[in-house]
Amino acid sequence: MRQALLTRLALHTANLLVIAFLLLPLAAATIGALQSAKSLQASTRSVLPPEWTLDNFRVILSGGAQKGAIFEQATYLPDNVKKIHYALTNSVLIATTVTLLTLVFSSLSAYTVARLRLRWVIWLMNLNLVARFVPVIVVMIPLYVTFRQLGLLNSVWGVIIALSGFLLPYGVVILAPYFATVPRELEDAARIDGCSRFGAFLRVTLPLSTPALASYGAIVFIVAWNDLLIPLILNNRAEFMTLPVVIASLVSDLFVFHNLMMAICLIALAPSVILVLLLRRFVVEGLSVGAMKG
Amino acid sequence: MLRHIDRSDQGSAEKLSALEADHDSGGALPAAPKRRGSAELSAGKLGVVMNLPTLATLALVLAYPIGYAAYLSFHKVTPAELRRGVFPSVGLGNYQRILSDPLFLLALKNTLVFTAVTVVAELALAIAIALLIGQRQVWTSRVTRFLILLPYAVPPIANGLIWSFMYNFDFGFLNRLLFSAGLISKPVNWIGDPNTALFALTVPYIWRTLPFAVLLVHAALQGINPELFEAASVDGAGPFTRFRHITLPLLVPILVVLLVLRTSFAFVVFEEVLAITQGGPGDATWVAVWYSYKRSFAPPFDIGIGAASAYVLALIIGALALAYVTMIYRRIE
Repeated sequence: MRQALLTRLALHTANLLVIAFLLLPLAAATIGALQSAKSLQASTRSVLPPEWTLDNFRVILSGGAQKGAIFEQATYLPDNVKKIHYALTNSVLIATTVTLLTLVFSSLSAYTVARLRLRWVIWLMNLNLVARFVPVIVVMIPLYVTFRQLGLLNSVWGVIIALSGFLLPYGVVILAPYFATVPRELEDAARIDGCSRFGAFLRVTLPLSTPALASYGAIVFIVAWNDLLIPLILNNRAEFMTLPVVIASLVSDLFVFHNLMMAICLIALAPSVILVLLLRRFVVEGLSVGAMKG
Repeated sequence: MLRHIDRSDQGSAEKLSALEADHDSGGALPAAPKRRGSAELSAGKLGVVMNLPTLATLALVLAYPIGYAAYLSFHKVTPAELRRGVFPSVGLGNYQRILSDPLFLLALKNTLVFTAVTVVAELALAIAIALLIGQRQVWTSRVTRFLILLPYAVPPIANGLIWSFMYNFDFGFLNRLLFSAGLISKPVNWIGDPNTALFALTVPYIWRTLPFAVLLVHAALQGINPELFEAASVDGAGPFTRFRHITLPLLVPILVVLLVLRTSFAFVVFEEVLAITQGGPGDATWVAVWYSYKRSFAPPFDIGIGAASAYVLALIIGALALAYVTMIYRRIE
C-alpha cells in the first residue's frame, strides 16, 4: 500500500517536471510579450512584471500605426514589422496553397502505388523514401540560382513550388498504405456500376481515406507554416516575406527589444499550435506512419 | 509496407479472381456496362498520367537541383558570374578550398558534437517519457500525453528566439527564475561562453524535436503484448528486470529507425543557430548548414563554395539514408 503511494507520487512528480519543461518556453514568451521594454529592463531579477499590457500586440498588428502608452517615446520599429500584414497574408496563402497542392498530387501518386502494380511506381515509392533525407540547403542553393534566372525570386510561387516538392514524398509515404487498406471490392463494385477506374478512386477510395488526408494535410500545413530556410533564401523583400522570415530578420537588429520579439513569436506560433491541439490524433497518426512504415 | 499492399491485393484476388485477372492484363472490365465519356485508360497509362504532377514537381525541386548543385560545386559562382551568366570551371578547387578551410572542419566537428549530444539525449528522454505517458494509474500522465505534441508545432525560428530571450545575460528568463528561487547570486552567461554555447544550443533543439521521438517510442510500446509482463511478474521479475529483458529488446527496431532519422535531421540544424548565436561567440557554434548558408548568401556570396560544402553534408547524410532504407527492407522481409 505504502509502496503504491510512493510510486504514484514519483510518477506525478516526473509528469510535473516534463510538463514544466514543455511549457517553460511558452510561459517565458507569454510573460515577455505582455510587458513593456521598460519593465523588462527595470527589474531584471523578478519573473513576473510589475504591470501587464497588450500594447506589444497592438503596435505589431497595426503595423506601428497604433502606439500604445508604452510606445509613446519609442519611434523605432523595423520596416519588416511595419509591413507585417504582408507576412501574415503570405504565410496563410503559402501554407494553404502548399497543403492543397500536395494533397492532390500525392493522392494521385499514392493511389498508383497502392492499386496499380507497376514496377516503376514501386521504384518511385522508394525514391520517396530516400527523398526525405536530402538536406534542404543542398537543393536551395541551385534553386536560388535557377529561380534567379527565371525571375521567381521574391514571389510566393517560388516558395510554393519548392515547399511542395519537399513535402510531396511524405504524402505518398503516408497515403499509400492507407489507400491500400480500403477494400478493393468497394472500388470494383463502383466500376461495375459504371465508374471509370479514376472515378472509383475519386468517389470511393478518397472519401474513405479522410483520416489519412487529414493527417497528411495537418502535417504539411504545420511544416509549410513553420519553414524558414526556403522563403529566407528566395524572398528578401518585405512584400514577399513570411512570418518566420520576418522573425529571422529581427535577430540581428539590436534595437528591437525582447518584448516585441516575443509578441511576434507568439503571433507566429499560435496558428500551428492551435491546429496541432485540434487535430492531435491525426498528426500523431501521420507522424508514426510516416516514420515507421516509410 | 509494399508487402502489405500485396497482401491486401491477394485478399481481394481470391474473392474476385475474374476482376483480378483483368487488373493484371490492365484492360477494361469485360462485363462492364457502357461507360460515360471516352474509353478508359489502361493501368499503365493511368499510372503515368496520375504520377505526372508528382514526377514534374520532384524533377524540378529535387532531381534537377541535386544535379545542378553538383555542377555548381565544380564552378566559380559569385555575384559577378551570376550577372554575366557564365560560370567558369574550377575543377575540384571548391572542394580543395573547403577541406583546407579550418572553419569548415570546425563546422563539421561542431555538427558531429551537436548531433551526438542531441541524439543520445533524445533517445534516452524519449524512452523515459514514453514509459511515463503510458502509465494509466496517474491522471497527470494524461496531461503530459496531451501536451507532448505542442513543441512540434512551434516554428523553429520562433523557438530559437524564445530561447535566446530565456538565455539572455541581462534580461533573460532563466536567470530571473534562478534569482527568484535564490539559486544564483549573479547572472549566468548561458550562451556567451565559447565552451558551453554549443551545448546551450542543444536544449532548444531537443525541446522542439523530442515529441516526434516520444510518439514513435510510445506507439511501439503500445504494440507490446501485456501478457509478456504478466508472465515475467509471475516468475518474480521486478520492474527493472522487466524493462531490461522485455521492453528494451522489443524497442530496438524503432530505436534504430529513430537513431537514423534523428541523426540525419540533427545534421542539418539551422534555425536555432541563426536565432540564438549566429555562429558565435567567435566561431564556437558554426555548424555545417550555417557554413553553407553564410558562404552562399552573405559576403563573399560564393555559391560554388556553398554548393560544395552542402554536397559534402549531403553525402554524409546519404550514407545514413542508405542504411535506413536497407533497414526498412529488412523489417519488411
